[in-house]
Amino acid sequence: MITVDNVTVGYGTAGFIKAVDQVSLTINDNEILGIAGESGSGKSTLMRAVYGDFSTGLRIQSGTVTGRFEDARTGKVIEAQSSQFAPLWWDQLSYIPQGSMSVLNPLMKIEAQVVDGLPAREKQGSSRALRQRIADFLAGFGLEETVLDAYPHQLSGGMRQRVLVAIAAFVNPRLILADEPTTALDVVVQKKILLMMVEIQRRQRNSLVLVSHDLGVHYQITDRLVIMYQGRIVEQGPTAEVFANPQHDYTKNLIASLPRLHGKRAVEVVGASA
Amino acid sequence: MNLLRYIAGRLVVYILVVIFALTVLFFVPRLGPTDPVEAMLAKVASQGAYMDAAQVDALRQSLADTFGLDGSLWDQYGAFIKRIVLTADFGPSLSMYPTPVMELIRNALPWTFGLLLTSTLIAWVLGNFVGLLSGWKPNSTSSRVMEGIAICLYPIPYYILALLLSILFSYIWKIFPLTTTIRGAPWSWELITSVVWNSFLPAMSIVIVVFGWWVISVKAQTTALKEEEFVRYARLKGLGDARILSRYVLPNAILPQITFLALQIGLMFNGSLITEILFDYPGLGLLIYTAVLQGDFNLLMGTISLSVIAVATATMIIDLIYPLLDPRIRHR
Repeated sequence: MITVDNVTVGYGTAGFIKAVDQVSLTINDNEILGIAGESGSGKSTLMRAVYGDFSTGLRIQSGTVTGRFEDARTGKVIEAQSSQFAPLWWDQLSYIPQGSMSVLNPLMKIEAQVVDGLPAREKQGSSRALRQRIADFLAGFGLEETVLDAYPHQLSGGMRQRVLVAIAAFVNPRLILADEPTTALDVVVQKKILLMMVEIQRRQRNSLVLVSHDLGVHYQITDRLVIMYQGRIVEQGPTAEVFANPQHDYTKNLIASLPRLHGKRAVEVVGASA
Repeated sequence: MNLLRYIAGRLVVYILVVIFALTVLFFVPRLGPTDPVEAMLAKVASQGAYMDAAQVDALRQSLADTFGLDGSLWDQYGAFIKRIVLTADFGPSLSMYPTPVMELIRNALPWTFGLLLTSTLIAWVLGNFVGLLSGWKPNSTSSRVMEGIAICLYPIPYYILALLLSILFSYIWKIFPLTTTIRGAPWSWELITSVVWNSFLPAMSIVIVVFGWWVISVKAQTTALKEEEFVRYARLKGLGDARILSRYVLPNAILPQITFLALQIGLMFNGSLITEILFDYPGLGLLIYTAVLQGDFNLLMGTISLSVIAVATATMIIDLIYPLLDPRIRHR
């Protein structure tokens, strides 16, 4: 689906500050891929390069990010470099931003914000039928139809984040990128949203990339896990395998730092040995 | 329910502001040393008419009665508020006796309103439009040129610009009339063109100055909004520039501009007073100016009270419109 080939990404027009350093990665069809790493490890930058969001001075210095979108509904196959992805946004790709107060337009009702940007194929039929489909979709997230007529400030943080997941998923794209979608939420809401994302992925059989610094999240839902450290991928493999048998020192430290039910958590400065 | 409470609260503030202003207007002239009745008597005496003491007393009494200067200060105050609130009566003009002050104001008010309303609207719409576009594309040449023009224009005081315009376009190039003369039968085409023709320069002197201010303030709004997460999100949804501008940036940028408009109306009112005097425009400003020169207390009270009420009303209307535009206030 997406092939990241030896790519170096960074910021700056005059100088160049490397954020992702010679990374190669494949995102397969019908899988949930997790990307873990500490703040500043380059995971968000890598996501932006994959999504094709080259604003604010982000650019690829070397290497390529190639996408191949096979749409079973139309039988069309689109192949493009990520710098050419913009026309595919909210059609073949969608994205779930890191939840915060200000991701939704404060002056637009939720229904309008779901509809705004939808590809033509999802908008077919009357606006009443569309509203009904959106309402049914939101019901799957435990959100009532009244949410559609609400403004963002009338919803709680957890509701807003569910709305953001629903907006991205309702597009029914081939690839969904989620950048820390559950970071600001309590564990109960977090778990609900994660399970919902898994269920939608299984139903739509597309690819979901989940960026999070929370290893617990990755353990629960990802099929494959990529560990990033200082702009490089230090380890990748099936999630269960990475957890059972970590190869890199940094990964070992990360896993050791998770709280345990029995015994003591390993206390060591993360990254000191890497 | 919350909306009703908002409206009720706003109305109470409005009434308090008006009453406070009227109170100040009532007491300030009465704290001064001049007594209009004695001034009037002196005027009569200086014209050589002979009156004995009883006649003078009778005249003094009847003048005090006419001007509402009868009884103690509190009696006068009560009568004053009652008269204005209930009957909107400011008594006769002293300099144009016996024409009632209200009639003079009624003739002048449409001029001021027309001038101010049109020039404010033109400046607001134009300024916001230009500022929005130049804030959206801050590095384009046209945006830089527009901002340069706006920065040069907005610190100019109204009266300097008004003088400049009238020197340039009435004296050097005799395009527009120097003073206002309106011709034509009521509602005739001739009257309308004559009004527009005569109002053009006074209106421009307001539009140009205020325009620069709106450009600068909405540009700052737009620049800040461009970095907002919901605008970035809209862009990553693949929405086009026109749609992002019209649905995401414009509504959010315009809200504070409406508040600014409410704050600016008072200032613009002052500006238009000076403009009217300079262009000899038959509005409220010219009337206030005449009242001051002639020492016409009643006319001064009437015109100033009405300006206060007009500005307070305009501000209140804008405040009442605001919740219709901002759901965060509507559904608090």
